This record gives sequence, structure tokens and C-alpha cells, in this order.
Amino acid sequence: MSVTENKVMTAKEAIGRFVKDGDHLVIGNYTVGTCAALVFEVIRQQRKGLTLYSQSGVFDVEVLVGGGCVDRLVSTYVYRAGGKEGGSAVERAMRAGTIEMEDYTNFQYNARLVAGMHGFSFMQVLEGAMVTDLFNKRSFLGDDKYRVIPCPYTGKQILTVPAANPDVCIVHVQRADRFGNAQYWGALGSVAAAALASKRIVVSCEEIVAHDIIQSSPHLTVIPGYRVDAVVEIPFGAHPTEVLGYYNLDRLMYALFFMSDMNGDGLKAWMDEWVYGCVDRHAYLDHYMAKHGAESLDAIRAKAYYSAPANYGAAYTSCWDNEDRERSMGVTLAEMERILEERGLLNG
Amino acid sequence: MAKKYTLDELLIITAAREIRDGENVILGVGLPTTAGAMAKALHAPHATLMMESGILDIEPLVPPNHIADAHSCRGFSYATDLFSMFTMTYRGYVDVCFLGVAQVDRFGNINTTVIGDYYKPKMRLPGSGGAADFLSYAKKTILTMRGGEFVNKLDYFTSPGYLDGGDSRDASGLFPKGSGPVMLLTTKGVFRFDEKTKELVLAKVHPGVSVDDIRKDIPWDLKIAPDLAETDRPTDVEIDFIRRFAPTEAVGRKLMYELAIAHSFNKALARGK
Repeated sequence: MSVTENKVMTAKEAIGRFVKDGDHLVIGNYTVGTCAALVFEVIRQQRKGLTLYSQSGVFDVEVLVGGGCVDRLVSTYVYRAGGKEGGSAVERAMRAGTIEMEDYTNFQYNARLVAGMHGFSFMQVLEGAMVTDLFNKRSFLGDDKYRVIPCPYTGKQILTVPAANPDVCIVHVQRADRFGNAQYWGALGSVAAAALASKRIVVSCEEIVAHDIIQSSPHLTVIPGYRVDAVVEIPFGAHPTEVLGYYNLDRLMYALFFMSDMNGDGLKAWMDEWVYGCVDRHAYLDHYMAKHGAESLDAIRAKAYYSAPANYGAAYTSCWDNEDRERSMGVTLAEMERILEERGLLNG
Repeated sequence: MAKKYTLDELLIITAAREIRDGENVILGVGLPTTAGAMAKALHAPHATLMMESGILDIEPLVPPNHIADAHSCRGFSYATDLFSMFTMTYRGYVDVCFLGVAQVDRFGNINTTVIGDYYKPKMRLPGSGGAADFLSYAKKTILTMRGGEFVNKLDYFTSPGYLDGGDSRDASGLFPKGSGPVMLLTTKGVFRFDEKTKELVLAKVHPGVSVDDIRKDIPWDLKIAPDLAETDRPTDVEIDFIRRFAPTEAVGRKLMYELAIAHSFNKALARGK
């Protein structure tokens, strides 16, 4: 999309414009910093028929499956609450036959996105998995879940996975500018690959910062602005998961969620209260503070531990010195123009 | 009265005008960087300028010394690796790139590797660098030739233009449809590519140059655009920008060396050496 368009918008607008029924949707975050507010908005807007990609399908996958948004799931790890007596939305949906799932290893899942990110059609992965049921048991991808080819250099049989280029990535980061340059630090996981492999990218962030902040710390940028479609500022946008430098995992809220998630009725009640019952993240936070007290939120706010600034400076930022003489030729602009005239080098 | 300009300024400004607002532009050193900086400053403020070394959205303040010169700019927005810069080009996210040319044939295929025999070179040139991959996958490429030559057959085929002309580039299935060189800029004129045959067509001549001056460099029967005109003259604002931003580019390499050597000699004298 053009960088001249305004990309700053609400979660409601961003999901409304960029996430469609039937999309292949990838959760950019994995385990930490889950884009919870964007996920909730997808559910509130009742997207249907999604093929959902999530590196570690924990909190995000449970609510999306519980919300009936997902037909197909591609993941490496699904959460099950409550041990033997417990359960999960994914398990219930598989039993009911309402979702199909493809299992990959963490590495294979990430490799599919890396292939997609670079425009390759497949990626070599670690061949040991060929003896496992990861290789043997296939769901909706069938033969295309994995293919085995001979290495053109060694002749050895190698295992490959197909590239993934999801329609849309939703991802939460610490900060971004209004052009979409998104900065994320901490456990990098598959965040960049998930975003860059995707056709559209919706970024939510704890704060929108000035472009200067981004330009003075470019090595923190994981998604360049020209790739991003929407930027949404959502403080506590990953709660109850954590965002490094902003807040910790909310262990109380997390535990309450998983207790509710043990059965379908419990999850429905939880989602009625926290997803459908809160029109946006402001309402969610208001409800949280009313129920658990503002001090519960304060208790997980991060105390500052800043990284040392890196020096990006140069000796000079102009070809002209303090006396307005060109640094290598030693002439002023007027002198330079006179020489050009004298030498007959000017046209027109 | 409109300002007078050097040939180097004319070339830089003509190239810069090919950049549109919002485009992603890969810059090489020299003319392209100055052209990119001018475009961003004057008519394409939302162009994203990038270098294949992995620095993106740069704001150059002085002309870079090479394609990894982070000293030349005041910050950038994204740092990645060279591998990813090329795969983003492969995926179609680069709109414009610039390539310098040593030999060019009538369909815009280029040689930047060797003059003479590859194994026993008469003149060994840099090679591909980024050229072959950029000319393959950037949406449009602007070729610049200062001191190079037009040939019927390249001594070495470094980077693909329109192959055998016509639809052969698109038909090969190797390149994005519609990609390829869009302009060849030389010290004498501006060439475009015929929409159908993909053959070089002379579109503009620089001031003081005749069509015959150009024809004598070209070993085939050169096509001339029906609306052939003189190269559009630079505006004062453009000329002033180039002189302030890249004075050494504005004066050209020869004069720059002469003045720089004189200057360092004078400094040595002043120190009593």
C-alpha cells in the first residue's frame, strides 16, 4: 500500500478493512506479546472460515476457535487447560468435527513462513521428522504438507515444507510510527517472518512514536513501514500476555482464563464477559480495573531497564564546512560556480 | 534567467525525475544516490530510499561513499541483511533501481563484468554486484552509461534486459511481467525502449548534441522517436539542490580531483610542509 495513505486507525477499522472471511490469518506473535486486542476484535466482528496460523496456539487460538472463527488450524503447539479433567477449545472443535488441524514442529512452521517471506516456494527442514507421524498423519494439506526431494548436491533425500504466504498477519509490538515502521524487541520467535510473509499486515502497538525515534534505532524495526497496512495504538494490547518493557504476564488473569477454558460453557462465559462484553480495549481495561482493581494492573507494569543508546553519528552531515567551503575541494559555492563557468562546463 | 548546468547535473536530474512519490528505490553510489536524494527532497517525499546492504528509508545528507554507507544519512527506519534485500526485490517490492553500464546491446542487456575475453581480460570490470538480480526483479530499471559502449554482442552477458527483444523477456517465465529497463541515460541523450520490439529508441538529445553524434556510437540502425526533443532542462531549484547536496557530483569527477588535489596541496603549504 502507498506510504502516503493514513495508516493510523482503530482496531475496529483495521480488522474491518484488512481481515476477511475465509482468510489465511497468521498471529504474528508467539507465546509472548500476543496481539490479544486485535484477536478479540476479529472475534467481535465474527470472521468465519479462517485458516489460522499460530506458532504456539495458546491463548489466541483458544478464543478464536471458541469464537467459531476458525475452520482450519496450522500450529505446532496447542494448549490444554486443567490436565486430565480439563479440555481446550481446539480439542472440543476437533471432536465435533468443526476444525481440521495440521501439526508441524516449531522449526517447520517457522520455515514455511521464512520461505514465504523470501519468495521461495519451499524450504528444506530437518529430515529426522520423516520417521514420525508428523510426516505420516496429514490433514487438509495432504501431499503438500511435506514433500521429499533428492538434494542436487549430495543426492541425500531431504524433507521440505511448502512456503506459507498468509493473506493477513495481525501482530502486536512495543512501538511503531505512523508510517508503520514497527519495532519489537525481546524473544524474536517468528514475528518478522510471520509479518513479512503475509500479503497484508495489521500492527498494533503499545505506543505510536515519532518517526525520529524509529530512525535513531533502526535495528529494532522488525517490519518496515512500506509493508504495513494499518497501525493501531493499543496500550495493554497484549494483556493478559506480556510485553517486554511495558508489563508482565498477568498470572491471575491467565489462570482465570484457563480455568474457564476447561469446558465450553466456561469459555463462552469468559468470552461473553471479556470479548463480547467489552466493545474495545478501553472497555476491557475499565472492566478489568473495576473487577480486579487498578492496583492489579499497576502491579504488572514494567520498571524501566533501558538498553544503552547506540551511537549512529558521523563526522559531518553536510558537504560544506563551517566556513561554507566544500570539504574536499575547499571552495565556496560561488567559487565553484565561477570555476565551472570559466572552464566552459555549463550548458543552457 | 534560468541557471546554467553541468552535464553531470543534467544526468542526475533527468534520472531523479523518473522516481515517483511513494516508490521503493534501490540506490547505488554516485548518480543514483544524488538522484534519489533530490527526488525525496523535491518531488517524492514519501519515496523509500534503500541500499542493498540492508539500510532502508534513509535520508541521505551527503553522497554515500559506497552502498553500505550509514555515515551518509541521518538515521534510517529499518536495518536488515543483504539476503532479505534481494528477496524483497524478488517478491516485487522494489519499484526502481539504477545500474551503471559498461556495454549495452540494442535490447538493454548489459555487461558490467569484462571487456574482451573473460579468462584473459582486456579490461576486468567489477562484475555483477547487485546488477543481475536487480535488473531481473526490480519493476523498472534506469540504466546509466558514462564512458561505456553500444555493442551488437556483449563481451559478457551480466544482467538481463529484454533478451532477444519483443516478448522474449516476459515469455521466458523468469522475470515479473512488465519488468525491465525503462531508460538508458548517456552523456549524449536519453533512450527509451519500444513498447513492442523492446529495442532502444533515442527519445531525447542533450543540448549541443546532434543525432549524428549519437548514431556514430551505435553499431546498428538506431531508431529515433517521432517526437524526439531536447532533454528537458533542469530547474533552478533542482540545480541548487544538487550543488548543495553533492557538489563533487555536480562538477564531475575530473574537476573534482583537480580541485581536491590543489586544495590538499594548499593545506600542506599552509602547515609549512
